[in-house]
Amino acid sequence: MNICILNGSPKSSKSTSELLIEYLMSFTGENETVTYNVCKSNLSEEQFSRIQSSDALVFVFPLYIDGINSQLLRFLIELEKRGFNNKSIGVYCIINNGFYEGRQNLIAADIMKNWCKAVGLTYGQTLGVGAGEMLPFLESIPLGHGPNRNLGIAIKKLSRNILSVNQGEDLFFSPNWPRFLWKIASSYNFWYPRAKGNGLKRKRLKDRAD
Amino acid sequence: MKGLIVIMDILIHDLSGEEFRSMFGEAHNDVRIIADTRTIRYCTGCFNCWIKTPGKCVLKDGYSNMGELLSKSEKVTIISRCFYGSYSPFVKNVLDRSIPYLLPFFKIKNNETHHKRRYQNNIKLEVHFYGENITEKEAETAKKLVKANCINFYIKNYEISFSRSLDELRGKVNAI
Repeated sequence: MNICILNGSPKSSKSTSELLIEYLMSFTGENETVTYNVCKSNLSEEQFSRIQSSDALVFVFPLYIDGINSQLLRFLIELEKRGFNNKSIGVYCIINNGFYEGRQNLIAADIMKNWCKAVGLTYGQTLGVGAGEMLPFLESIPLGHGPNRNLGIAIKKLSRNILSVNQGEDLFFSPNWPRFLWKIASSYNFWYPRAKGNGLKRKRLKDRAD
Repeated sequence: MKGLIVIMDILIHDLSGEEFRSMFGEAHNDVRIIADTRTIRYCTGCFNCWIKTPGKCVLKDGYSNMGELLSKSEKVTIISRCFYGSYSPFVKNVLDRSIPYLLPFFKIKNNETHHKRRYQNNIKLEVHFYGENITEKEAETAKKLVKANCINFYIKNYEISFSRSLDELRGKVNAI
């Protein structure tokens, strides 16, 4: 089967979406899989044809302001204009957000379902992953184990549905890691060291324009 | 001048110049209008507006001061075509570029994590969606989206409307 993975992250450096795609591809086996980044460059006619002739489309993207980022939206509108002759394509999404709770991806999933309705394709399943910025820190831990337990189980379920172009229940989850520790780590292991790298003291992060 | 804050209402819209003029006329000194008149760059999730130039986006395209503008407004009006229950790409682009209004740090609100606030001003939000074929599902999604935005941007007072045409929309907008 032909699987087309659409990376909807506009990030210039390596994104959590990219990591999630690597995880997914470890389950897609011998199938013909292509990945396109749809935010950073315009696709060729050939690439659009490949998308339109796939058996499954998998959108992998980060949550931006409770919804779909502007670049991915532009791409979805372009795809709607071009249309799909083959209506049997299954659409799947892996959405990650910077908050802890995976359920905060629910509205973005609803937008994707509305898009499917508009283009006449069948929506397959959503994985809504919380604490996305934490995932690269857990890369050395095997999927399905420790803090990556929920993610491993969910990706396995999703990949089964993709490979059979079946529908599945939406799964919203967080890493297997306490929220209060994640919240502390977000300041001390993420924001503060990055600010320091830019020569900023901690209190400067609260600067106001006035 | 430090200490003097000029409060200004904001209107974010995706109408063409002609559509806008036919709806609102020409001069608008009291309202800051954010329109699709230049090439807006998309947010690349670099977080520099939080950790390098706190409160300000580093992209240089004339849309980098959304955080500051929001901090000085009491009323924000959005006019957007509705796509799949979302704002249009331009309006969403402006909102994606508005995260410097918030702090990177998290707090728990109603058992959910959200960003802490950088500013304490209270904004009243009006969102006017338009489109010929907005489905019930899309309207439902759009309502959820605006509500979630309001939670994240500390907006308590908001209204949403849906119009099938710009003529219908005209009667609903009191921004100017």
